[in-house]
Amino acid sequence: MLAKKMLRDISKHKAQFISIFLMAFLGVFVFAGVGGESVGLEVNVNDYYEETNLADGWIYSNYINDLFLYQVDCLGATTQMERQLVVDSVADFKNDPDITLHFVENNTISKFYLLEGEKLDIKDKGGVWLDKSFADAKGLKVGDNITFEFENYSITKEIKGLGYSPEYVYHASSSSVIPDFNKIGFAYLSYKAFPEDTVPYNVLNVKFEGTSENYNELLSYHMDGYYNSFVERSEHTSVSQFADEMDQHRMMGDIFPVVFILIAMLILLTTMTRIITHQRTQIGILKASGFKNRSIILHYVSYGFWLVLIGSILGLILGPMTLPQLFYPSMSATYKLPSWDPAWSMNFVYVAVLMVLMSLAVSYYSVKSISSEKPADTIRPKAPKVSTSGFVEKFGIWKRLPFNIRWNYRDAKRNKFRALMTIIGVIGCSALLVCAFGMYDGMNDLKEWEYNDINHYDSKLIIDEDATQAEIDDVADKVNGDEIMESAIEIESGSVKKSASLLVLNGTDLITPTDYDRNHVEIADDEVSISQKMADMLGVGVGDEVKWHIMGSDKWVKTKIDKIHSDPVSQGFIMSADKLEDLDLNYTPTSIVTEEHVDKSYDGVKATNSMKDMTSSWDELTEAMWLLIYILIFFASLLAVIVLYNLGLLSFTEIEREIATLKVLGFKTSALRRLLLTQNLWFTAIGFILGLPVGYFILDIMWKSSGDSFYILPSISLTNFLLTAVITFALSIIVNLMFSRKIKKLDMVESLKSGE
Amino acid sequence: MSTIIEFKDVNKEYRTGDHILKAMDNVNFAIDEGEFVVILGPSGAGKSTLLNLLGGLDSVTSGQIIVNSEHVESFDDNQLTSYRAKNVGFIFQFYNLIPNLTALENVELMKDIVDVNIDGEAVLDSVGLKDHANQFPAQLSGGEQQRVSIARAVAKQPTMLLCDEPTGALDSKTGVLILSLLQDMSNNQNTTVVIVTHNAILAEAADKVIRIKNGRIESIVNNVNPKKVTDLEW
Repeated sequence: MLAKKMLRDISKHKAQFISIFLMAFLGVFVFAGVGGESVGLEVNVNDYYEETNLADGWIYSNYINDLFLYQVDCLGATTQMERQLVVDSVADFKNDPDITLHFVENNTISKFYLLEGEKLDIKDKGGVWLDKSFADAKGLKVGDNITFEFENYSITKEIKGLGYSPEYVYHASSSSVIPDFNKIGFAYLSYKAFPEDTVPYNVLNVKFEGTSENYNELLSYHMDGYYNSFVERSEHTSVSQFADEMDQHRMMGDIFPVVFILIAMLILLTTMTRIITHQRTQIGILKASGFKNRSIILHYVSYGFWLVLIGSILGLILGPMTLPQLFYPSMSATYKLPSWDPAWSMNFVYVAVLMVLMSLAVSYYSVKSISSEKPADTIRPKAPKVSTSGFVEKFGIWKRLPFNIRWNYRDAKRNKFRALMTIIGVIGCSALLVCAFGMYDGMNDLKEWEYNDINHYDSKLIIDEDATQAEIDDVADKVNGDEIMESAIEIESGSVKKSASLLVLNGTDLITPTDYDRNHVEIADDEVSISQKMADMLGVGVGDEVKWHIMGSDKWVKTKIDKIHSDPVSQGFIMSADKLEDLDLNYTPTSIVTEEHVDKSYDGVKATNSMKDMTSSWDELTEAMWLLIYILIFFASLLAVIVLYNLGLLSFTEIEREIATLKVLGFKTSALRRLLLTQNLWFTAIGFILGLPVGYFILDIMWKSSGDSFYILPSISLTNFLLTAVITFALSIIVNLMFSRKIKKLDMVESLKSGE
Repeated sequence: MSTIIEFKDVNKEYRTGDHILKAMDNVNFAIDEGEFVVILGPSGAGKSTLLNLLGGLDSVTSGQIIVNSEHVESFDDNQLTSYRAKNVGFIFQFYNLIPNLTALENVELMKDIVDVNIDGEAVLDSVGLKDHANQFPAQLSGGEQQRVSIARAVAKQPTMLLCDEPTGALDSKTGVLILSLLQDMSNNQNTTVVIVTHNAILAEAADKVIRIKNGRIESIVNNVNPKKVTDLEW
């Protein structure tokens, strides 16, 4: 019979129970969905690396002979190694696509991931295992022949298989951030397919024990001079690019859903408490009729339990199944992974379980506190709380305030808990909105800052490493450009060591460093400027001295910091060529920037990027971020509606009788609606104002976790600030309108009859 | 004395599915200005329906209700609202005061709905609550709360006071005080007072007693010499 009562209660108070269900569902849905996306990426890529046994590091050397192998083995930490010859070739197509060939000694490390055709055969002389993305772009099939030209060789092989490689999850040319699979690819061949008997292996793939830092030290200690460079896994272009992408997703995927679910949980719990409090007299009646406390508690606890349980389970299943699917299609165009599956993390389950347990606990305590009273007390409605005249009422002006304001002020004062919950709900929603819009602005701002305020060139020509200074000067002259040098450096101050970037400007006005307010920062020829974020990370300021060196060289120099500039994407030093040479370091230009639009190729120039290419690459790279931002805005608004409606509904039930009285006395529906609206607007205004700093704070955490190179301070544009305000208030008013119908339909006679 | 309220052939039916319940069956009566009227009847007789119709909380199925020469039965929701505001002062069994407002504020609240100059303190004084003006309903006893509710009803100078079991939630001693207050208002200030109750003793104090049963008028009796409420034997 109690079960019947429960079902009837639920159908009678549909809206409240639907909102309980929705909050449990949405909270877990967004949490697990957004989380499932970034966890999914991580799981997919890690599984892929694991399955294909991706190398822990790559040793580059021109003398990888047996002695070399013996020496590497003697390091002790090496567990597995394998040689390969990696050469750049041009495939025989009209657009001269660049194909990186891997002649492998054995393919047990960084294994080719076969999608079509037969397995890579290490004894096969005539076969090639080709990049599936390139094959698709060119319409190549298993069984077709393909010709590669490199150095003085031209080889033609039969395509035996198509697939991916863990070293090429991300594969783009130096001229474009976005991969163009029509122009770029890779291929794996057996060492036997190499035209000569002796293969001049140049890369040693290694797997090792211990940290890569230790391995690097071992290597440089024991084998200095025998190898050119060592690249550890995290420095590998493909690996690090994908890791950066995952970081971006995690940044948003971690914080936002946590805030989201916290708000949902908070409102859910208060709703349940209040629904049970409203059932007070019924609990009294059940008790008076002889029901045991235990069965009453069980009855009321099961109210929310099933809804929260079902909502959480559905969210847990549907979230990761649906939300990640919105992101993966655009990502799979850039990144090549064999599978794009969402993943579940135990964290999602813990959160869902926590949600259910907390709702159980909360309903248990609310019923318990009511049912432990004497039934004679419980059966009567709780004595109304006494209002008191406070400070505000002492002023003469109080008496002149309209009834509307007086009533609302007192109502809020008398129902502090309800007021507090409404305000907290609004704070949460407006904070989420501020945060989502703040991300939107931050992303736009970053682009505007980098590509408009700092960089003014039209084309950037990347200089070939072996170009001569004469060639470079010649090109610079031809395109009316300025030479610049960009280099990776490492800066040390005290115990802090940070990777950074160095930008050397040779009197160009096409790149103008700015401060955070976009004012031009003039850096004199004898000055060194450090970026604000780097200065913060190192804990240094103007006048301090730091030690630094260019990556790949062990020559450390000391520099005093003269200026501080700000940069959204690159953190480190800016100085002049003169200053660099003063420090006894070589000035070697790495690119030429020009206002002219360059579409010709020049000797000594590896690639040309136009500003347009760069901005559109940026747009494409940030596509997933945008999508996430839109999703966040959507769910923040949805949550706001549910929270406001639900809180409104609860308040309405609590003051129904008063509203009915006022209606009987002759107050017009519009006046009553205004009465409710006033309170709604007050709470919305307070919540919104308090929500701003909270949203700002969350935004700050998000940007701070965006990685060392990004420098974005939380800010929100006036337009979006107003938009946030409009959305918050509009939602609040819409929710209020939903109640005006309720006021109209309110049965005055019924509401007044009962003693309650 | 002039007729101020008139029910003409009033019918009220409630329809639930196929079942039709006749809550008012051809009811006719008239009430004069300043009369102290008691409507008597057992539970379910239709007392509350009558009160709801008269108070503008519900509308008739057929018939006419004429108050102050206006046809209440023809009013729409908005007109009913202003009818209630102008003409009806309700007094409920459970007082229905606004808990957020002090006694005085509950009375002065009426300024918001009628265009009458209200001296709240004077009205409270007239019900003997001068000293409790700034207390909140929860700080007052039941009898005091009912007196505030009377003050609130009287303050807007309505055509009639409609009282639904006004003493139902009070002890008998306090109940007598409340009823005699209402009778005084009728006698001294010429206020029309309609009291709905099942307590037959009150009949002797009324100017007019309307007895109803099963939705029909059973009898209408005019007392030539009504007793004072305080003289009744409770």
